[in-house]
Amino acid sequence: MEPSASTAPTSPVPPADPEERIRQLPPEAQAAYRRFRSTGDPVALDPLIFAILEYFAPRTPARPIAEEPGAALLIDNLGFDSLAITEIVFFTEEVFDIRISNEEILRVRSLDDLRTFIRAKVASRPAG
Amino acid sequence: MAPLPVITGLGFITSIGNDRASVLRSLRELRHGFEPFVFLGNPRIPVKVAGTIKGFSFPTIHSRDWRWPAGYTIEREAARSLAPHGVYATCALEQALADAGLVRADLTDGATGLFCASAGSTLLLASHINQMYAVRGERGDPMGIASSIAGTLNFNLAAHFKIAGAVCGFVSACASSSHALGYAMDEIRLGRQQRMLVVGAEDMNTESVLPFASLRALSTNPDPATASRPFDQKRDGFVGTGGAVALVVEADTLARRRGARIYAELIGWGQAGDGHSVAISHPEGAGLREAMRRALADAQVAPAEIDYVNAHATSTPAGDRSEALALHAIFREGARPRVSSTKALTGHGLSLAGAMETAFCALAIAEKFIPGAAHLSEPDPVCAGLDLPRTSLDQAPRMVLKNSSGFGGSNVCHVLRSPS
Repeated sequence: MEPSASTAPTSPVPPADPEERIRQLPPEAQAAYRRFRSTGDPVALDPLIFAILEYFAPRTPARPIAEEPGAALLIDNLGFDSLAITEIVFFTEEVFDIRISNEEILRVRSLDDLRTFIRAKVASRPAG
Repeated sequence: MAPLPVITGLGFITSIGNDRASVLRSLRELRHGFEPFVFLGNPRIPVKVAGTIKGFSFPTIHSRDWRWPAGYTIEREAARSLAPHGVYATCALEQALADAGLVRADLTDGATGLFCASAGSTLLLASHINQMYAVRGERGDPMGIASSIAGTLNFNLAAHFKIAGAVCGFVSACASSSHALGYAMDEIRLGRQQRMLVVGAEDMNTESVLPFASLRALSTNPDPATASRPFDQKRDGFVGTGGAVALVVEADTLARRRGARIYAELIGWGQAGDGHSVAISHPEGAGLREAMRRALADAQVAPAEIDYVNAHATSTPAGDRSEALALHAIFREGARPRVSSTKALTGHGLSLAGAMETAFCALAIAEKFIPGAAHLSEPDPVCAGLDLPRTSLDQAPRMVLKNSSGFGGSNVCHVLRSPS
């Protein structure tokens, strides 16, 4: 029987490997990711979060993002735009296999917001 | 009187050179840009050669991993939505602007437009669609569309160069950038724009070239020195290439007012369809013949006035034959221009080809030489009577005809003239 027009094809390729995705990031960020994977401690993720921000920054940051105050606003102070933020969301979803809604994105404005959000999000994801 | 479009700036990222001086040397000395190329790392693939772009590196689909030659600054803000050919195009356009004595601020007042041509990036499109399948459609790269579909070139360049005039992309396969140039001429002739940027570009990778092997259109000759030999009896297909070429086209009044160097005047263009086949030229080159006739009529030039024809000839058996027959039909009774196809050196740049080769014609006019028919050893008998010089000639062409043909039998021709 012919499939109906609304039937989507099944995937011909396997899901992306998170290790493959983080290979683009500096070694300390990759190490942070692996530390998190082995300990489950979201606090270990900070170097990874800073590396992701620097990777997707629309313009080369004047100084390392890790040196910015936690209250620094992603758009107003650090030069991010909505496209870069959607890229960060996509990358984070890929690496941690999580889902982030539009409403959640809109609540993240500062570096601290982002750090807190990612920690909470990865801590709440299903085991395995 | 309608404004006359003139070419005032050129930028090159090509297999035969990444700047004007290198390209000029390659054309004069007939140096090709081919290298052995193992598609997909699979030695069983019979296509062995490509017109590679040197000095760039695209090891993954992620723009942070890409490298381009020193001297070009592409911030992540711009790079994140580019395809590889968008990187080539950004570099070529920067070159062309510098060559024309322009800066980015000169482009933003609405008097400058941008017409582009590329087939999009099959590499990035395939990657994004595979990603979509992999996660069953639940997420995707936000730049997936803007970086990959046909139109990616104009989306990106218009935004990054802040173009407020006419912006459009053209898709007629291997005639695409010739269409872009023709309609850019009309924008100027109709007084709608003072200046047009015309950019043709293509990725240079397995995904952009190898699909043509299924059509049996690619050469399987493993020797880079002879794989591309338009009009030769032993030609067996084209060699793929990519890159980018940018042209700055301005109303002659504007160009002269600001003291710009004028490479060539664009005095006419014409187009015609074969009405024949989706992928094969009309056997007698009917559409190309008519496109040449219309271009010459638009330019008010007789065939005998043409000194040089830069042929479309890609080195395929059928296509070169059709073009030779079309040339015979137009150039009769004493009209005998020099003819060569510079694809013998560059390979076939697909959407990029027309802009690239028109830029070569502009260089030939400005530098007073005629590019030779490289790699031609035994001309196909159908070429008997065509003047195919085996070496580049130190002769200044005053009037040049440029031919282009694309899938679906889309043919476009331009006439260039030495500036008066």
